Amino acid sequence: MINVTDIHKEYIDGETSVRALRGVSLHIAKGEFLSIAGPSGSGKTTLLNVIGCIDTADSGGLSIDGDRINGAHGVSSRALIEIRRAKIGFVFQSFNLIPVLTAYENVAMALSLLGLAESEIRERTTKILTEVGLAGMEDRRPAKLSGGQQQRVAVARALVKDPLIVLADEPTANLDSETGEAILKLMKSINQRIGTTFVFSTHDQMVMDYADRLCRLHDGLIESDEVRRSA
Amino acid sequence: MPVQDDLQPKRRPHAGPRMLIRLAAKNLTRYRRRTMITASAIAFGVAIFVAMASLLEGLIAEGDRNLANYETGSAALTGQGYWDEREQYPLDILIEDPASILDALDAADIAAAPRVGFRGELIVHYDPYPEDGSAHLSMYGINPERDPRVFRIDEAVTEGRYLEADEHGLLISRWLAERLGAEVGFPVTITTRTRDGFHQIMDLDIVGIYETPNPTVDRRTVFMPLEIADSYLEMQGAVTAVHLALPEAVPGTADLEPVRAALAQAGITLEPAGGDGPDPDNNRDVPGESGAQDHGAATGVELLSFDYMTAEFAAAMELQEAAFGVILFLLGVIAIVGISNTMLMAVLEREREIGMMRAIGMRDGEIRSMFVLEAAGIGLLGGAIGLLIGAGLVGYLATYGIDYSAMLEGVEMDFRFDGVVYGVWNPETMLTTAIGAAALAGVVALIPVRRILKRSVTESLRQH
Ligand SMILES: Nc1ncnc2c1ncn2[C@@H]1O[C@H](COP(=O)(O)OP(=O)(O)O)[C@@H](O)[C@H]1O
Ligand SMILES: [Mg+2]
Repeated sequence: MINVTDIHKEYIDGETSVRALRGVSLHIAKGEFLSIAGPSGSGKTTLLNVIGCIDTADSGGLSIDGDRINGAHGVSSRALIEIRRAKIGFVFQSFNLIPVLTAYENVAMALSLLGLAESEIRERTTKILTEVGLAGMEDRRPAKLSGGQQQRVAVARALVKDPLIVLADEPTANLDSETGEAILKLMKSINQRIGTTFVFSTHDQMVMDYADRLCRLHDGLIESDEVRRSA
Repeated sequence: MPVQDDLQPKRRPHAGPRMLIRLAAKNLTRYRRRTMITASAIAFGVAIFVAMASLLEGLIAEGDRNLANYETGSAALTGQGYWDEREQYPLDILIEDPASILDALDAADIAAAPRVGFRGELIVHYDPYPEDGSAHLSMYGINPERDPRVFRIDEAVTEGRYLEADEHGLLISRWLAERLGAEVGFPVTITTRTRDGFHQIMDLDIVGIYETPNPTVDRRTVFMPLEIADSYLEMQGAVTAVHLALPEAVPGTADLEPVRAALAQAGITLEPAGGDGPDPDNNRDVPGESGAQDHGAATGVELLSFDYMTAEFAAAMELQEAAFGVILFLLGVIAIVGISNTMLMAVLEREREIGMMRAIGMRDGEIRSMFVLEAAGIGLLGGAIGLLIGAGLVGYLATYGIDYSAMLEGVEMDFRFDGVVYGVWNPETMLTTAIGAAALAGVVALIPVRRILKRSVTESLRQH
């Protein structure tokens, strides 16, 4: 479903240059629950950004759902925006909710972008908020929600458009371990029940333990790629 | 679209533009203080502009009224070419036979007043004292019976009385009387020249003191009965102008056709409209419309429209409007700086949020629209408040006016309003100003948004 082949990405900052990805290849199949693990600076964010079409690789190939994403497009190109809009869900480390919108509105916004009918937006948003365990909190603003609840809203926002893949860059890094684990359990149960594909990065062993497949990244290279039984 | 309804669970977001409007409206409540400060700056600009526009319009209207009431009437008949020379008070460009013109106009029920305008030196004798006061002034012989049908000098007499036919009386303005030390009852001497250029001396008594709201008249004009001027100047019945009062709500809008018709019926012909008469020199510039004047070919009489006679005043007002434009520009600059600064802060503070929205697929155009709407919202808020304050100011100006008299005391300029100028209500201007402010704010927001959209999504997401 998603094919990453020999991706290279180098950051040049004045005189120094950092080779963030040095030839990464990865095939992600539908329904996977995949963790990209590695220490800070290993290239996890860069890789997820490239897969999520908000960054482009210097070289290498990426295809999503049969569409070849060419590095020459640039992330602002219409095609990449449309792919992100319709096919990719993001969960960020720092939640990134809009503070003036309620939980409901934060989630519904993602569907509004797709131009769906109001009734369908209402139905799907309400359903997904219940799914992530936020029934009854629809009208709260982020400030009135705990960190874990905010990340649940973010997960709902990523899921509501029924994306091809949800990319979560260290989704538990801003949460205590208990809350983080609850988020992992939530994602896992959605993966099992609905079959949504998840790719999440982490440097936390507990989080890795939830993965069905673990890719270890080190200095921009995939060190190991193993399928495992998850917790 | 309600702004603060986040507590109403029934209301749900909508797709497309409505979602953007809603988002923009919600974001407005985000930095209330900043929104209010920026809106206040815009409100201030709108209010000042609205009040100034009202005053300027009032100034022009007042000027036109004062010209019509004290200097020109709705229209005038003069000898051919007289108007261009009027500052020299020529006594050789005349209407030789005003009687037939007056008869014709009377028959058509058109109010008409003949005048003889000339220049002379007025010498005031304050009896017990040795010193004399004197001044070179404009002097008019007026028909005390007819003149009030066109002009309002009679109503402006505040001390003594108006002129009576055939008397050796003089009307002098309060302004001149104070400066010359003259009072009602004082004898005065006027030295001037007759129609044929001979020196002449007139001895008159001041019978009344007038005060018009037209300083140009007050500062240089005295009036005497037409018969007296006629005999001293040896005019033999000729006059320098016949002024007309025509039905019109606003000076300069009267239909001159009945005048032409009345004169034509009496066999007095004026050249047809268009200014292409036999004398090419008469093809003068007429600001505004062409055909504002006629040239009498046979009689040498021409019909001057209000606009033609007041072209210089209109030009002076255009200068005022230009100055007004400069102020508008400055207010605009203040609004632009305020709103662009506010939006720049808003955009920079929300950079990561913008990065998130772009990441989840919001298009650049949608982000632009969102901020444009947000800024337009501030502009609309400011415009609405400004409109309210402006309406208050205009209401005050329309009722009480502004007193310029102290400011204008020493100014040597041809202006046509007395101390107090009243504002004029112009809802169209007011509304346009408020909407313009909102539109301007929206457009200005594009600048900071452009800046943020140039950044990459990942860069924006990395902020904070
Ligand atoms: N915009 C950037 N400019 C320069 N260097 C960068 C930039 N983004 C990431 N890097 C570098 O690239 C390497 C990989 O970064 P990143 O993908 O963020 O790793 P991780 O998410 O695993 O911590 C790091 O050494 C980081 O310092
Ligand atoms: Mg990272």
